[in-house]
Parts: sequence; structure tokens; C-alpha cells
Amino acid sequence: MLQQKEKLPQKLANERASGEPWVWLTGMGLTVGLLMVFALLAVILYNGVMAFWPKPVVYVQLEPNSEQGILGSNTMGGEITEQRSRRVQRPGPDGDPVIVLLPEWQLHVGNKDKYGFAFKYIDLDDRQVKTYPENALKIERLEYGPAFGEPVSLNLDGQPPLPATAPNFREAFAKAVKEFNERRARIRQIEKFEIGDINYEMDKLRLRDRRLTRQFGPDNVPSREREAIDTAQAKLQDKYQVLATEAQNLRAQQQASKLVISLPTGGENIIAIGDIVHYYFPNQMSFIDRLAQFTHAVFAFIVDEPREANMEGGIFPAIFGTAAMTLLLSIIVTPFGVLAAIYLREYATQGPFVRAVRIAINNLAGVPSIVFGVFGLGFFVYMVGGFIDGGNPTPMPAMGWWITALATLACFSLAIAANFFFGQTNSPDTAALVKKIQQISPVLYVVGGCLLAVAIFTCPYFSGLHQDRLPTPTFGTGGILWCALTLALMTVPVVIVATEESLAAVPRGSREGSLACGASKWQTIQRIVLPASAPGILTGLILAMARGAGEVAPLMLIGVVKLAPSLPIDNYFPFVHLDRKFMHLGFHIFDLGFQSPDSEAAKPMVFATTLFLIILVVVLNLTAIIVRERLRRKFATGAF
Amino acid sequence: MSTGFQPRSAIHSLSAIPSVGTHVLCTDTDHSFTLNPATFPMKTYVPDPNRFEASQTTLVIDRFMNQFIKIGGIGIIVVVTGIFIFIGWQILPLFQAASVKLMAEHQFDPNDRYVLLGQDEYGELPFLVKDDGTVVLYDLIGDRGKIEHPVSIPAADAPPPAESAESTPQGEESSAAAPAASDARITAIGYNHRTFEVLYGTSDGRFGKSLIEYLPSYGAKNERLMTAEVKPDSAWLPFKVAGAPVTRVDFGDAGTSKLAAAIQDADGKPEVSAILIAQAASLFDVGEAEVAALFDLTDQIEGTPDFILVNKTADGILVGTREGTIFYFFRTGESIELRQKFVPFEDLPEKGISQMNLLFGDTSVVLTNAKGNNRVFSLFIPPGKNTRLWHQTKQFPSLIGPAETYSPSGRNKAFLLTAGNEATLRFSTTEDVRYDKKLDFPIKLSSLGLKYDSIFLLDDKNKFHTYKLVDPHPNGSLKSMFAKIWYEGSHEPKYEWQSTGGSDDFEAKLSLVPLIIGTLKGTVYAMLFAVPIALLAAVYVSQFAHPDVRRVVKPTMEIMASLPSVVLGFLAALWLAPILETRVPSIMLICIMVPVAALLMGQAWNLLPPRIRIWMQQGGHEWWFFLPVFFLVAWLGWTLGPVFEQNFFVVTEPDTGLRIADFRRWWPLATGTDFQQRNSLVVGFVMGFAVIPIIFTITEDALSNVPGALRSGSLALGASRWQTAMRIVLPTASAGIFSALMIGLGRAVGETMIVVMATGNTPIMEWNIFSGMRTLSANIAVELPEAAVGGTLYRALFFGAMVLFLMTFLVNTLAEVLRQHLREKYKMV
Repeated sequence: MLQQKEKLPQKLANERASGEPWVWLTGMGLTVGLLMVFALLAVILYNGVMAFWPKPVVYVQLEPNSEQGILGSNTMGGEITEQRSRRVQRPGPDGDPVIVLLPEWQLHVGNKDKYGFAFKYIDLDDRQVKTYPENALKIERLEYGPAFGEPVSLNLDGQPPLPATAPNFREAFAKAVKEFNERRARIRQIEKFEIGDINYEMDKLRLRDRRLTRQFGPDNVPSREREAIDTAQAKLQDKYQVLATEAQNLRAQQQASKLVISLPTGGENIIAIGDIVHYYFPNQMSFIDRLAQFTHAVFAFIVDEPREANMEGGIFPAIFGTAAMTLLLSIIVTPFGVLAAIYLREYATQGPFVRAVRIAINNLAGVPSIVFGVFGLGFFVYMVGGFIDGGNPTPMPAMGWWITALATLACFSLAIAANFFFGQTNSPDTAALVKKIQQISPVLYVVGGCLLAVAIFTCPYFSGLHQDRLPTPTFGTGGILWCALTLALMTVPVVIVATEESLAAVPRGSREGSLACGASKWQTIQRIVLPASAPGILTGLILAMARGAGEVAPLMLIGVVKLAPSLPIDNYFPFVHLDRKFMHLGFHIFDLGFQSPDSEAAKPMVFATTLFLIILVVVLNLTAIIVRERLRRKFATGAF
Repeated sequence: MSTGFQPRSAIHSLSAIPSVGTHVLCTDTDHSFTLNPATFPMKTYVPDPNRFEASQTTLVIDRFMNQFIKIGGIGIIVVVTGIFIFIGWQILPLFQAASVKLMAEHQFDPNDRYVLLGQDEYGELPFLVKDDGTVVLYDLIGDRGKIEHPVSIPAADAPPPAESAESTPQGEESSAAAPAASDARITAIGYNHRTFEVLYGTSDGRFGKSLIEYLPSYGAKNERLMTAEVKPDSAWLPFKVAGAPVTRVDFGDAGTSKLAAAIQDADGKPEVSAILIAQAASLFDVGEAEVAALFDLTDQIEGTPDFILVNKTADGILVGTREGTIFYFFRTGESIELRQKFVPFEDLPEKGISQMNLLFGDTSVVLTNAKGNNRVFSLFIPPGKNTRLWHQTKQFPSLIGPAETYSPSGRNKAFLLTAGNEATLRFSTTEDVRYDKKLDFPIKLSSLGLKYDSIFLLDDKNKFHTYKLVDPHPNGSLKSMFAKIWYEGSHEPKYEWQSTGGSDDFEAKLSLVPLIIGTLKGTVYAMLFAVPIALLAAVYVSQFAHPDVRRVVKPTMEIMASLPSVVLGFLAALWLAPILETRVPSIMLICIMVPVAALLMGQAWNLLPPRIRIWMQQGGHEWWFFLPVFFLVAWLGWTLGPVFEQNFFVVTEPDTGLRIADFRRWWPLATGTDFQQRNSLVVGFVMGFAVIPIIFTITEDALSNVPGALRSGSLALGASRWQTAMRIVLPTASAGIFSALMIGLGRAVGETMIVVMATGNTPIMEWNIFSGMRTLSANIAVELPEAAVGGTLYRALFFGAMVLFLMTFLVNTLAEVLRQHLREKYKMV
């Protein structure tokens, strides 16, 4: 024994296991795969966070003869947003050119109203002196992006200019900005809500007018009705005038007071206090201050509306739209997915047909999302939406329609009667017939359902719910409902598969026990099977939501817009407006990255939005994974 | 059956088993139980006789739910299949043939001799021209009937211009005629269908025209009333040989320059000449038309000229001879040259031309010979030449005889030909006969609706037949989507996708082939990158790694799979593409160095003492140790890239003679293909993020599910872990791995946002890795929002969606069937 033990290592030392390098190669595969995930997440996380983190404002003095200055000045100031290397060919010692990588900075110089651009690349070689002036100020404005500079004086309306050197300057400036921001909120309140109310009423009146015109003809509208509409319109017009004047006065006040700053490039810029959204002195901030500013920026990003072609401000409407659409999607997808899964697992006879259906459903999950988008556009938007708006332009003749309707009715009543009322028959002949009808009742239901769809769609007595608005479509164009329905169709296989799996995981004994205790089949499903598989269903739902929330391609066709004037839920009846177009985080990324006028300025916004979308999707997925793990453990120990 | 009150608990516990229905299970009422006195403080308990009966509510709910679930389940499955039935239904109209329906017949005076038939834009007020030049408008909609506008030929009072001095004798003769109406007759009638102008040639060799100005007016209920004014020219201009009757005339109007050409019969000798007409136009008024130049083409033509055509740009004249030769003259300024001479039916015994007409757009000419053979010649620049010449591009089936009438569409490349009683509607782009029928009357005149919506025919008994034409998608056929098409202006047939163009006479090019190639290109590059990494990682995780690794790696990969593709696309285009653009050599180095480093490290590790090796082998932590090496090698590759570039990818700049090391310039010079910033390399790399997790997860499952006994057996027999993995586990799981590849392929095929964002979306047909592509899915995303509902493009895009669906569905079904097969196999093992 001892001898053998000593021998073994000796033997192994001489013989190398075959293929070990290849094992290392497979290990490399894993390393690269994991690194890819983490590198991607890190890039997004870093850039997303840096979009909010306040950077110091640096003033750079260039070499005297540098050609990179702005407006002829050789100083400039701003935030350093990127450091990168530029390829330059330089003659090498032996005459052949050598590639040199010259470091350069991208400087966010801001003050776009003065310079005409906001970003500038400068070679590090050209820089001479770099300073961080104490007083450097960053101002976020309503227009032209941020301004950088040092404050000179505060010229409040009706007061003598207050120089920046005055001891109470900061206090007075802060007070003014606060006051003006409150006034801006008041203007917004008037323009968005109070005038919005009037517009809503006006729109209702216009629709009434159009309906009456359609009913009576353009010249025969009853004069009483006409007068009522006219007086109401006049009243609203008066109200509007008052509000509009007030808003105008407030706007004038916003522009009356100014802040004078000196630009890093020399010269001054006069900024109306009303245009200042937020400001801070980045070079005087401690870490705590920076953290506070960071928190403020994140908060503002979440709750604000976008400004300046979405390149500034927040993404609240996009978050809201994504959430509303995802919620709607989950409300639609759950019952259908669960129903189909229960049918497939608990009711259908397991055989080649069900196997084929299962394969088909699995495959649907792999069908490209754009195909669903195409279907949504053709079917929901143009066909169903157009029908809801204005009815079918070529309806079936009345006779044919009534026959279809009767056939529908016959199919349904036969199937229902066979299953509910003929059950207690005693005669064996009828019993056999009833049994036959019961057997074919699914076919009857399907045929009835198809006939019903045909009957509804070709109904000659329906001419649309939004006829008065035509030719402006209401449902006949993209909208949140169509997006939710399309994505529900796309994600229903996910829910079906997950639900089926969790139904299959419920031990057979549970079911049999319930049935043996005398529970009906539905009672067993309702009280034993469904509660046991609830986490699995939830997993499926969360996965469906995660897929739906991140999907953009089909939505581009059927209802997502760059900038939606109003949210899909508001304070006007019926409060939830399923016909409205909406903003979406994913589309926001696409739009900012590819359709914005200044892609450099939009970059931080894209990364920040991406970070939000990623957090949303990753959190949803992690929840699903954790729920599933728990479920597995539960069944692993709880199985009979 | 009692329907009275029952204790609530009875409802719960005494429900019937569904198959038994409402039948009472047991009616034995004599039976009694011993009961717990605490619950039932009675001495004796008489059981409820109905206690085994299920409550009605329960039964009804059960029945209802059973039905509801069945219907719901089946319904959802039906709806889901309905998606594809709907898409199929949307693309069906593309393949429908033209429908031609007789609408009305009108009998005209059989003694009238009509020589021309034309119509307005809406086909409501067609006109006929008698052989004496009278324009007869005929109201098809209202009750205005026939409105006749006779033409009077003005006297030839203007002397011929000085340039045509050689024709002075005849000119003097005609100028001597009376200044009022001339006694000349109309001898030739032509029609410029582009501008609604009837062209006249007179017996004294002059050219005039009448403009039929259609003026639609709209009534109170928005109904249209079409009226027309006939405006004849005030001055008729002479051709070369004054006094010789004109036999054929054509006219082209390019705004500033107008060109009329004619064949005259000078006492049996045909004379061909053309006049360039100048018309001084001020802002408010058009001035008098004058002959600016006269071109005598007779000498350059061999044979007997029979046909003459002028194009709409007024710079090309085609003269066809009875012998079957066509002469193509090209005008530049005030000079004209014979540019080409060709015999369209050279290879056939019958060379004579029976009809020769220009197609909509005037870059193609439709030719028919005396036997009814029908060909289309188009203008294009042949390779190696620099002028546009006519060449045959299309060959149609023969007609029953020589074509007698011709009428082009004013909307697309369709044309109507008639021969005897045969009327045939042909679509030039796809070489497709849309409609062909032998009618029961010989056709004398024909007119195809300008909007390609009607056909008017006049038979030899002067009976006027109107037909409604419904053919919304003449270019929608499998041929136009999958075969090479010889488009106008191109020198060879090709696959091309270009759905919209600048001009009216643009041919929509709807070939799906470049898109399918683009789709496959993106997929192949993504798979090239993703498959090795995914397979290697899956093999490692399932076979060699510590079990804990698996628990962490699988959820991580699932999160990677769920990353929205818009995020990947954005990173690819705005972050990765600019980085990779200048660093291609570095990437190439890294791709080579990393695997080599892994193999070397494995070799080195194999030399370590066995104690360490056993410890690590059991731990399964090789990938941790490889991590620093990876970073080192990646950094090395990254920095060595420019050095590599300087030694291998050097181009010499032709202007300065400088030698420059730049891969972006080297690649086009070396391969003759493009280098673009947003290229397939970037797409393949980023699409890898979407595909790797899918392939990884399924492969890993397949490998892990291989029964442990197989592995143990192999190891016990002395095989190394690599040998076991390669020769035992992989072959057993091969079907599963294949299905993983298929599902990954399906995802790559359908990926939309990454491709939309990270490529230039140009529909090209090449496999160059440094150029972009356009995939089927990106094409839909880019073009569908702008496509007119129900139009050909709209339906073609639906067809693209269907192709995409079928591709993924087939691939996925294959994978799924394989996977199920594999599952069965494991069961047996």
C-alpha cells in the first residue's frame, strides 16, 4: 500500500492528462463571455452615473499661437467630458511615417448662444495653464444648454445692479432664482392645466357642432343648439383671454431681470433669470455638496419633462409611458396566458396535437418582434382602429349580415345548451346526440367566434365611435392600447411556457387528493393547483414584462413618438386615454442617439436613459430569477 | 333534489366528481356515524339525505369554468395562428392578376372614321379624333353626349426660316396662299399623351397641334364635372419639303425646347425631317412659336422610314424603317447626330416592325413585328461606353398578329397592345402579361387609363367599349421579389431594393434578395463571433467548472439575454463603432492572441507538479486564473495594434507618395471593397451579446443533462476529462447543441434595432465584413412607417415580414423537434 502511494505521483508526473490546453481554451470562453456582460454593464453604469455627477469647471489657457481658441480668444472654460487619443502621422527617424496617438480633451464649453457650438476638442499639447476659478458658475437654462462663466452682477428689475463681489450676492441670487422658478411653475400651471381645461371644453363643443352638422346638414342645425354652442364658445374665449394675458404678463416679468456673467473666453453674457432652471458653483463643492447635487440631478431627471428636443430636462413622460404600457400589457397578457396554459396542461388530451401546439407556442417566442409590429400595424391600427373610428366602409348587405348573426347565435346556443342544459336527459338516443354535440362543442365555439368576428366587422348598422373626428383618426393610428396588445401577443408564449412549467411542477398527489376529497375539477384548479403555481406564473409575467419593457422595434411602427403632448392618463374624462401615443424609454434612446440635432450634447442623456432602462429590465429579470429559484427549492423539498 | 339551505361546509366537501355530474352518489340515509359530541352536541344525528349531492352553484361554476377554459385556451391558440393568416391575407393581393370588367358600350355613327382615341386623367371624358382632325369629346358620366371640335388649318403665311434655304422653291409657293384658312388637308395624326396634345401633319407639309385642356370643376357635393377646351395652335410650322404631305408625325416638349419630327411623302420619296421649335415665353404670355432649326435626316436613313418617335426631353428621335432597322438620332443644342442603328428583330425571320412606341418615362421603346413578336428596348450606358444606347431588355410572348394599336399607362410601365381581336396588357418591368384576351370584335382603337384604371376600346363598327381595370399591384410577383430584373437604365438584370425614387416614372425595385443576403450576412458574422465563445463557455461550465460557477453564471447570462436590443444598438453605433474604427489591427491581434494565450497557459499548467494540478482540477477555477492573463494579453494586443498596422497595412498615397499606415485605407485598396465605420464587424460583435446567452444556456442544459453514468464510466476507464467531454458528452448532446445553434440563429435573423442603429442600412449584396447591410427586419422598421396603406410597398413589406417569420419558424421548429427527440433519447439511457 505504502509503495503504491509513493508511486502514484511519480507516474502522474510523467504522464500529462490529454487535452488540458483545450480545457483552458474552454475556460477562456467563459472568461470572455462573462467579461463581455460586465464590461457592458460597467460602461453603461459609469457613463450613466457620470451624466449626473458634477464635474469641476476648468479654465484652459492655450499656447499664444494656438489655432484652437474660440472667438479669437486663447482661453476657454468648461467641463472635460472625454479624454481620447487622436491618430496623427508623423515622420519617423527613417523617413517612414509613424503613427502617434495624441491625447486630446473634449471640452463641454456650453454657452451655445454665444459660440454656436457646445463642444470643443483641444490637444493636450496646446494647453498651457489650467485653472479652476473659485467663482466658476454652471447654469442650466431653458434654452441653449448650460452656460459657464463667472458672475458679474445681478440686475433685478427696478433695482440697482448688485455686483458679484457684494457680500449678499449669493443670497440675493438664490432668492431670485427660487422666486422665478416658482413663477415659471405658475405659468406652466396656467398654460398646461387652466388653458388646457379650456381647450378640452372647446374640443368638446367643436365635436358637438360637427355631430349636429352631420345629423341635420350644414344649414339646418337647430338655431337653439347653434346659439348654445356659440355662447359657450364665446364664454370660453373670454376666459382664455384672461388667462392668456396673465400668462403673458408673468412671462414678461420672467424676462425683465438679468444675470450678467463673464465668459471664460472674455466678454459677457446676459441671461434672463427666468431662463435659469438651476445653477451651482462646481469648483467650490465638497464631496457632500457634489453628492447632494448628484441626487438633485437624478431626481430632476426622473420627474422633469424633456426640454430642447429631448436633449435636456428629464424623462418623466418616457418613464410614465413605459410603465403604463407595461402595466397594460401585463393586465392583458396574464389572463390569456394562464388560460391557455391551464387548457394545455389540465384539460387538453395529451397527444400529437397538443405536442404540435406546444412546439408552435415555443416557436412563437422566437418569432422576430418586428413581425408582431407588422401585424399590429396592419390588424390593430388600420383594421380594428379604423373600424372603431368610422365603421366598415364596405359593410355586408343587411340580409347577409342577419344570416351571419343568426348563424353565430345558433353556434353558440347549441354549444352552450349541449353543455349546460341537455345534461340531464334520460333517453339514450338523445344522450348519444348530446354527447356528440358536447364533443364537437369546441369546434362550434371556434366557428361561432369566427362568425362573431365577421358579424361585428361587417355590421352595416355601426358607423364608428369617432366619426365626428374623421378624417383625423382616433384609434385608427398608433396608440398605447395597440402597443400593449401587440406586445401582449408577442409575450404570451413566455407566460404560457412559464405557467405550464409551474403547473406541471405541482405534484400529481395534490390534485388527486383534492379530487378524492370531492372537489370539482375547477375547485381543484382554483384552490390547489393555481396557488401552488402562482410563483411560476409570476415569473412568467415578470419575464414577459421585462421583454415588453425593453422592446422597441414593433413600437416604432404602432404608437411610440418622440414627444407626446400629453400622458396617457390625465384628469380629463375618461382619465385613461388608450388611443394616445406615448413616449418610451427604449425609443427615447433611439431618438436621442440617432435623431437629435446635437448627438454630442445628447450623449449623457442617452447613457442616463439607458441606465434607467437597464436597471428596470435587470431588476425585473432578477426578481423573476429569484422567484424561480425559491419555487424550485420549495418543490424540491415539498414533493410527495 | 333539494335546493334549500345547506350548511356552507357541505358545498365545499360534498362536491361531485365532474365525470359523475349531478347524479347523487349515495342515497343510503339509514347509515349513521359516531360523532364527536364536542362538535355536535346532539344525541343522535340524522344525516342530511342530500349530503352527497353537490350544490348547484358549484356544478354550474365548474361546468362554466371547464367550458370557459377550453374555449379560452383554444381561442388563444386560434388567435395566435390568426396572426400569420392575417399577414398572409395582406400579401395575397400582390399575386392577383389584373381584373378587367366591361362597364358600358356606346354605339357611334358607323360611318365616322376615327383614327385616334385618348382620355383624360379620370377616364370620364374621352376623346376621339376623326381623320379630318375633328376632335370629338364624349361624355361618359353625364348626358352631354358628343361634343365636336373641328379643326381649321391656318394659312401658311409665315415664310420658312432662313436656315432651310434649300427648300425655298416650295416655301415660296406656300407663302403665296391666301392668309385665311388653308385648303390643305390633315394627312397625319399623332398624339402626345404626356401633354394631351393632338398632333397634325398636313398635306402641304406643315405641323400643328391642338391642346385638349381638361378642366375639372367640383360641385356642391364635391362631385366632379370634367370639361375640356380644345386649343389649336395659331401658327402651323413647315417641315423640310413644303407641299409634301406628312405621313407620320411626333412631337416632344421639354419646356424650353420642343422638337417635332415627321416623315413626308415627296412624290413617293420619303423625306424625314425634324424642326426645333422656339417659343419666346414671358411671365404672362407665351409668344409665337418659331422654327429655330431644321434637321434633315433623310440622307442618314437607309430604307423606307415608316415610324418616327420623339422623346419627352426633345433630344432623341427614333426612326423605324419598313425593313426593320431603327435609327436613333440624338440632338445636342442645334445639331443632331446619328447615334445608333439597330435591328430589333434581327434574329427572327420577320424583321419588319408593326408597332413602335415609347413607354412611360421615354427610356424604353416597345416594339412589335409583323408576326406579333413583342420586345422592349431600353436606353442605358453599356459597360465601356459613355453614351446611352438602345438594347433589348425584355421579351414578351407573341401576339396573334402584328400589333395594331398601342397605349401606355401614365402611372407605371404597363402598356396595352391590340392585334385583331386580341387585347393584351403587359407590364414591362417584370416582363409580365397582366391580361390577355381574345374579344369577340376586332379592335380598331384603344386607350389605357392614365391612372391605370380603365381600358377603352373602339371596334370596327364604331362601337365604344369601356372596361374597368383593377390591377393595384402590377409589379408584385414572386419574380419581382426573387428574380433578377432588368430595370430601366441598368446595363444588366440585377437584384435590387429601392422602393422610392425622385421622379414619377421611377420603377419601384422590390427585390427581397439583397435583404435576405443582408440578413444572412449579419447572422453569419454574429454567429462566427458568438458560437465559439458560447460553446466553449457552455462546455467549460457544464464539464469542468465548479458547480457554484454554474449557479452564478446562468442567471448572469440570462440577464445578458434580456438586455434590450436598443441599448446594444446604441452602444454599438455611438460607443463601439468609433473605437473599433481606428483599432481594427488591434482587434485582429486580440482575436488571435487570446486563444493562443489560453492554449499556452494550458500547456504550461500541464507542466506543473501534480499536486497543484489536482487541486485546481477539482476546484474548477481555471477561468479565474486566466482572468489576469486575459487582461494582459488584451492590453498587449491593443497597444501592439498600431505597430502591427505600421508593418502590414501600409498604403502609398498616390498624390504625395507618402507611405501611410492606416487599415481603413489599406482595406479598400487591397480588396476593392468599402470600409465603413458602422460595419458588419460591429454588428456581429454586438449581436453576439444577444446570441451568446441563448446558445450558452441551451447548450449548457443539453450538456448537463447527459446522464452522469456515461461520464463516470468514461472517466473510470481512464479517459481524461477532455477526452470524456469531447468523445462522450458532446456526441451525446449533439442534437441539443445543434438546436441551441438554430435558436441562436433565429434570434440573430430577426434582430432589428441593433441592425437599424449599427449599420448604414444600405441594401447591398456583398459579404465584405467592413461594410454594412440592410436586413429584412431593419427594412421593415425603416420603410413601413412611410408606406402607403394597401400599396405595393406596404404589401411587399408584409411579404418581407412573412419571409422573416417563415425563416425563424422553420429554424425554430427544427430545433424544437430535435430537442424533443433528444429528450426521448435520454429517457432510454
